[in-house]
Amino acid sequence: MADLIQLMTNGLALGSVYALAAIGFVIVYSATGVVNFAAGQFVMVGTFAGVATLLNAGLPMPIGYAGALVAMALFGALFYLVVYLPLRASPIVTVIIGTVAIGITLQNAALLTFGSWPFRLPSPFEGMMIELAGAVVSVHALAVVVATAVMIGLLWLLLHRTVIGVAMRAVAQDVKAARLMGLRVQGLLAFSWILGAVMAGVAGLMLGPMWFADVNMGDPIALKAFAATVIGGFGSLPGAIAGGFFVGLAEVLGASYISSAYKDLIAFGVMILFLLVRPQGIFGEPIQDRG
Amino acid sequence: MASRALALLAFLGVGFALSMSVSEYSLRLLNLAAISAVAVIGLNFAFGYAGLISLGHAAFMGLGAYILALLTTRAGWSPWLAAAPAVLGTGLAAALIGLPLLRLKGHYLALATLGLNVSFGIVAANWIEVTGGTNGVARIPGLALFGHALDGERAFLWLALAVVAILAILASALQRSRHGRAMMAVRDDETAAAMSGVNVTAVKVAAFALSAVYAAIAGCLFAAHVRFISPDDFNFAHSITFLSMLIVGGEGTIAGAIIGAALLTFLPEWLRGLGESYLAFFGLMMLAILIFMPRGIMGLALGLAARRRRPAQSHTQATSAVAGKAVRP
Amino acid sequence: MSITRRTILSLAAGAAVGAATRPAFAAGEPIVVGAAIPTTGPLSLSGKQYFNTLTMAEEDINKAGGVNGRPFKLVVEDAGASNSTAVSAFVKLVQESKPSFVFLSSYSTQNLATAPEVIKAKIPVMYAGGADAVADNAGGWMFRIRPTDSVAARGMAQFVKTLKATKPGIMYIQNDFGQGGATAAAKLLEANGITPVGSEAYGQNDKDFSAQLLRLRQKGADVILTFVYPADGALLLRQIKTLGLKTPVIASSGSFLPASVQLLSPADLENVWGVIDTFVDPSVGARMADFTTRYKAKFGQDGDAYGLAYYDGALILAEGLKKVGPDPQKLRDFIAAQKSWEGIGQIYSFDDKGNGAPGVVVVKAKPGTKTLELVERIRPS
Repeated sequence: MADLIQLMTNGLALGSVYALAAIGFVIVYSATGVVNFAAGQFVMVGTFAGVATLLNAGLPMPIGYAGALVAMALFGALFYLVVYLPLRASPIVTVIIGTVAIGITLQNAALLTFGSWPFRLPSPFEGMMIELAGAVVSVHALAVVVATAVMIGLLWLLLHRTVIGVAMRAVAQDVKAARLMGLRVQGLLAFSWILGAVMAGVAGLMLGPMWFADVNMGDPIALKAFAATVIGGFGSLPGAIAGGFFVGLAEVLGASYISSAYKDLIAFGVMILFLLVRPQGIFGEPIQDRG
Repeated sequence: MASRALALLAFLGVGFALSMSVSEYSLRLLNLAAISAVAVIGLNFAFGYAGLISLGHAAFMGLGAYILALLTTRAGWSPWLAAAPAVLGTGLAAALIGLPLLRLKGHYLALATLGLNVSFGIVAANWIEVTGGTNGVARIPGLALFGHALDGERAFLWLALAVVAILAILASALQRSRHGRAMMAVRDDETAAAMSGVNVTAVKVAAFALSAVYAAIAGCLFAAHVRFISPDDFNFAHSITFLSMLIVGGEGTIAGAIIGAALLTFLPEWLRGLGESYLAFFGLMMLAILIFMPRGIMGLALGLAARRRRPAQSHTQATSAVAGKAVRP
Repeated sequence: MSITRRTILSLAAGAAVGAATRPAFAAGEPIVVGAAIPTTGPLSLSGKQYFNTLTMAEEDINKAGGVNGRPFKLVVEDAGASNSTAVSAFVKLVQESKPSFVFLSSYSTQNLATAPEVIKAKIPVMYAGGADAVADNAGGWMFRIRPTDSVAARGMAQFVKTLKATKPGIMYIQNDFGQGGATAAAKLLEANGITPVGSEAYGQNDKDFSAQLLRLRQKGADVILTFVYPADGALLLRQIKTLGLKTPVIASSGSFLPASVQLLSPADLENVWGVIDTFVDPSVGARMADFTTRYKAKFGQDGDAYGLAYYDGALILAEGLKKVGPDPQKLRDFIAAQKSWEGIGQIYSFDDKGNGAPGVVVVKAKPGTKTLELVERIRPS
């Protein structure tokens, strides 16, 4: 029983990270229709923004975290200008390959800047453990789950209770109608990229202390985020969250009860199964063609 | 017809001339480019003609390569003989996988094929008894023609060029046949194609299976050339590379497939001089190509050629010739 | 100006002085040595280390007079992150620079892929990949300058007996290194009458090992052998402690490379023994102290066993070049004949398969610190 609690906590913490990465990915997709294959690198950049502010510049934690998130917002805006705008009229495959190409550049730029040794990001809960029904659980892992829930709550508030959030949802529903209603579509699209980047940044800052930061961490995260999005429902935020938690739990519990070598096959197998049987995932609406 | 024959002769001529004049290192790169060209011409069926976004192409190449490698190293078959089950088996596997999978479209299909590629890698790396795990399969025998071993890059290049030429001719014949037109109809508008009596599922599965057959041939060539394969040689990064080659070269065109394969094989090597940052530059260059040459190199070339053929005349005619996909050779 | 006797005399004197103080390595055509090593991509974690030491060796050799007066010239091509790029790098070197000798990378699959080209080129190479399979395909031209994975694994299994443990559990990364190590260790343990209670694998990109560790705990493991790379190795050690496992750990060399140790705290290293190639620490002796100080001063990082292996390899090569010259066949024979060459990190002895490093060492961190100390040297049978 204690073991199960331990596994569940780790699975949930892992799932939270995947959920946040998936959220960043889904925000961009819903608003702009872009399948961002550099989503994993976004998280990696977030982690290294933390490395730059907390380790290299040695700033105190609150300022360091804030600084890293500001950097991520700027990064999102830059990505919008340099990658999205020039490619916005291109067919979907071109955009996919474009994001992949930039992902390669980001990875190698990070390697050149930070070197190939992994980094250890400090956590505000460094070394703290608590006992939970016989299982010893790290406070950081719990904090990650809680923080993810808070972020999701804030995101919901943004999207449903603020003007800009409602405008974003309008753009996601129908770009032409939004434009006809007088909404500043380009600005909202840029804001979506910024928001997506900040979400990825939060994911990166939270998993830095759990996993160690290294420049190659992006691709595996992207794959899991894609699986999470498909399972939860493409374009759906609750779906991204549910999918993320599912993939995280499946990974840890699958390793424990089925097979540690083949556990990744479980997540991808379920993803393919969903694609074949229920492509809209758990929460998604039926698939429509995007404009 | 004449321009096609001319292009083929030019290809063979240039290939032969290069094979006699460049260094061993460049010959090796040419061989890698030729192998990639076979794979990308195959991908052209699935993506260029039928519009299926396949991010799992490298897995089919891997399947063909592994079947050949295992049959030759474990069961002592000759590589020529082993190529048959490798190619046919892969085609069959693709057809079976395609039946349920090809109902998906767009990025859903992309993600599904990506998932397949990743799954292939996981199985290849973990099923040690069969595949040797990450240690791969070594000491694959090289090819020999009529008793002469095709040792050395030059001899292999001649074989590779011949294979590319034959496969390109077949691909071109298919494209001009009604099967090819059926694929392009499905790509352009599935509903309209169905209403014209095209069996959409059969066309898609056929395109997918055909692309897998070409990928398997590329896999066999790869295995016989490098003589060592491991799961990493067929990971999803390679699938994305193949798709990039097709797009950069010009999707929907066979010439584009070959040009894209050659360019993206040589470009990273040319950029080696930049030292440690060459991969970062490669990514930026790819992005620039996508932004400024969205129809790929062949798209650019055909656009220029069309504009030159009709100088002042109806501008609309020229632009529609460029825009119309049906004009591509 | 008119040339007088005095001018000529002073010119001659100047030339004589110049000749006397001229650096010893100025004359002659350089001897070219290639290195097809990863300087970009994920493999550059180790690749950078031996890129640095090979550059350092080049400088040292030339400062000491080069090879019989001829300069020693290192040409590096990036082996990149895949097997294909590694082979391309090697072929490029052989074609364009025509070296007498090439250093390959420390990744077994890259070594395996390059082997057929090495045999074709008939140039001796040194490599540091650990999979035993590489030596089986070496054709007599490839020399390994690190212990094989099975030697390291057998060393770990032997140390289990020293710790008087009877129920070992194994944790390994799912690739050729991990699989090979786990199998070799299990075999030696069973030959000594000890049966492992469990053998758990994890994927190369995995970040959570709780499932595998908890299973080993359930099975009652009293020591855990780990076959890991630096990043996951460090993570594993941390998670062992976070899960509250008090089991002693015998870790493979990846966990004790500087790249890994810098991620750990002293608490993470409690009760952990490392079986590593060689103890890179000034306490070992004068030459080692010299190497470590100079490396740190030059590159700002701690040197590691990989870098040191290539440095020693370069010194063996330099001696060979001086004694038998740059002919590849003679170089090959010279290296193969070395049976007790005293390097800084190891005493190198090349067997008929080209494996040159037959011993490993066991280290442990001094309690409460991250300072390593030598526990014993093992030469597994």
